[in-house]
Amino acid sequence: MSAILKLENICYGYTDGSFKREILKSLSYEFQAGTFYTILGPSGSGKTTLLSIMAGLDKQESGKIYFEGEDIDKMGLYRYRRNKIGVVFQSYNLITYLTGLENTLLSMTETDNKLPANRKEVAYALLNMVGIANTKADRLVTRLSGGEQQRIAIARAIACNVDLIFADEPTGNLDTATEQEIIRLFQMLSERYGKTIIAVTHSNEVSKLSDHRVLLKNGVLNDL
Amino acid sequence: MNFYQRALRYIQRTPTKTLLLVITFFLIGNLVILGLGVSQASDNAKILTRQKMRAVVSYEIDYEGFWKYADAIEDVNERDEVYKHYPKLDIAYASRLTEDERVLAYNYMISDIAYGIDFDHVPLGNEENKNDSYVDENGNTVTYKEPEYMLCGSRSVNMIELEEGTWQVNEGRFLNEEDIDQARSVAVITEELASQNNLRVGDTITVTRTNPNNLSRYKDKGINTDELNIDLDIIGIYSTSEDVDPNSESFRWMSPYESPKNKILIPMTTMSEFMFNTYLLDREADPESYRDDDIEETRESLNTPSQVYFLLDDPLHVDQFVADYERSLPEFQMLNANNETFKKMARPLDTMSFFANIVVWIVVVNAVVIISLVTALTLKTREYEIGVLLSIGVSKLIVVAQLFLELLLIAFVGFALASVSGSLMAGRVGDLVLDYQSNADAQYESDDDYYFTSSDSYFTEVTQDELFSQYHVSVSPLLIFEIFILGTGVVLISIVIPSAMIMRLNPKQILLQ
Repeated sequence: MSAILKLENICYGYTDGSFKREILKSLSYEFQAGTFYTILGPSGSGKTTLLSIMAGLDKQESGKIYFEGEDIDKMGLYRYRRNKIGVVFQSYNLITYLTGLENTLLSMTETDNKLPANRKEVAYALLNMVGIANTKADRLVTRLSGGEQQRIAIARAIACNVDLIFADEPTGNLDTATEQEIIRLFQMLSERYGKTIIAVTHSNEVSKLSDHRVLLKNGVLNDL
Repeated sequence: MNFYQRALRYIQRTPTKTLLLVITFFLIGNLVILGLGVSQASDNAKILTRQKMRAVVSYEIDYEGFWKYADAIEDVNERDEVYKHYPKLDIAYASRLTEDERVLAYNYMISDIAYGIDFDHVPLGNEENKNDSYVDENGNTVTYKEPEYMLCGSRSVNMIELEEGTWQVNEGRFLNEEDIDQARSVAVITEELASQNNLRVGDTITVTRTNPNNLSRYKDKGINTDELNIDLDIIGIYSTSEDVDPNSESFRWMSPYESPKNKILIPMTTMSEFMFNTYLLDREADPESYRDDDIEETRESLNTPSQVYFLLDDPLHVDQFVADYERSLPEFQMLNANNETFKKMARPLDTMSFFANIVVWIVVVNAVVIISLVTALTLKTREYEIGVLLSIGVSKLIVVAQLFLELLLIAFVGFALASVSGSLMAGRVGDLVLDYQSNADAQYESDDDYYFTSSDSYFTEVTQDELFSQYHVSVSPLLIFEIFILGTGVVLISIVIPSAMIMRLNPKQILLQ
């Protein structure tokens, strides 16, 4: 297995008045392709911050991030977000005036990756794969349940044909049964389609189902 | 799902917000159209009236300026000396103006009354009301002979009347450069005058500037009175559409020389020499009266007209023509386009246009503020959406393009509706304000007659009613286009500023907000 994402001496902190708090302290780690990772850690340990930096949504103070060996800063964060990764948020972050299908098509339109010409059919197929029927796919997302919205968010994340998916507390707003379904979905994506999943969670139940568990504590990552 | 598809979906699926924004743009659009419509109608009325007026500019002495300057001199002797040397038009300067490409024709003339020696003037038709003699205080009967002809010496071969077709040479030819350069004794007369005396091209007429009843003072000094005459060979006969108005109040008292039919055109050089010759004979007949005269200065003044008129190619070029040459004018000289009267006449329109422009600017500034605030508040609720779009790699430019397109489409609908209602409203309001303005102006300026008046008829007479009759508020396609451009600018500013405020943050910060 090869490293899909490599973190090298990542530092990040913030100042609160005259006090500087370091969140990530020269953090280094390698994520292998096709693996389902969960990152655990106590509240305030910087899990979401780390995920944001890895997803190119925020910028580290120092250090490098390599995606398949290429420095993402040099690649450009917009290009990185558009073509290399997908992100699933705790609060789904779907566009509310669009339908499930349209939300899925959104990332397919923006990416530079090669996609089939029949995008609409592909989008329906992806939605079906994550458990959204066509009738529901055509509804405004605000008329769907939390679990259904999260499934659409997952479909949107994988729709642009990326190999790396970040998930920030993807089951945080869901009930236990739905949580299990979403986790199984991630497992399926990892096992059947070779996607790398890096999910931040505070749930031990979720982390138990992942391939690899990593703990973020005192600003560094350690395998569990 | 391109940005324009997303923009359309947003408009379709958020009807309340869309409707509120359409109403906002509709109200703003009405006020802008009202202001611009009224302002444009004022400008159009002035332009249309200007276009109806003759494009004439006169180069003349600024007597008022000269008198003001002279009267301010405290030393009496110095002041008298200044008054002795009245300003004269600069011939070189006038020639420079004639070369301007906007000048179609010009009248550069000196004129004086004259009497015919061996031919008769064209009767005016008011002779029966006049007595040609009166009894003086000593009981002597004095015979009076009215001036018969207006002798016009022209330096121009392309006169305004010829250019405009008021005169047409029917026989022979008009004056040419050689006639003027060589001071030939030639004349062009009207066909009525020719017909009255059976004159043809090639005949000769004799005129004098001296009243035949006053020849005794020359004879007493042994002066041959034939020297007071000039023989003129007729080289052309022209017809003129000019005539006196028999219904005018002054017609009863008019002398024959005031009739355009009794005009005799000769070269200005010939005219100057003739006038100077008469001056020398007058001086010889009455040396006492001319004792202090400077002969050379008199010769020069007889060679200089008091006014030169220029006919331009377009009435709308008049102001620019004046502006172009005004700065280099010699002292106490002016270019007169008869603007003062026009400006006074157009004052109600200017006042209306001024306030309309103020309204437009207030509305535009307020529109930018209001729409920016509305947009900022709307965007505040869409921060997460911007964050999401940025997090999936949509560029900032595309995000702005989507927001801009949404607002632009809404603005277009609002402005399109406003262009219909605004034009109706502008017409009504324009008429009401114009009525109010003209009534208010009439109260304060009732003594003023709103006419273009001039001793010469080169400036067109236009009444204020004629000017106001050109005032029509209508929303032209160009105005609509201007409003749309203005609206697009307002929308762009309204979108860019709040968007920039949001997107200065990175996606994580936006999503956390």
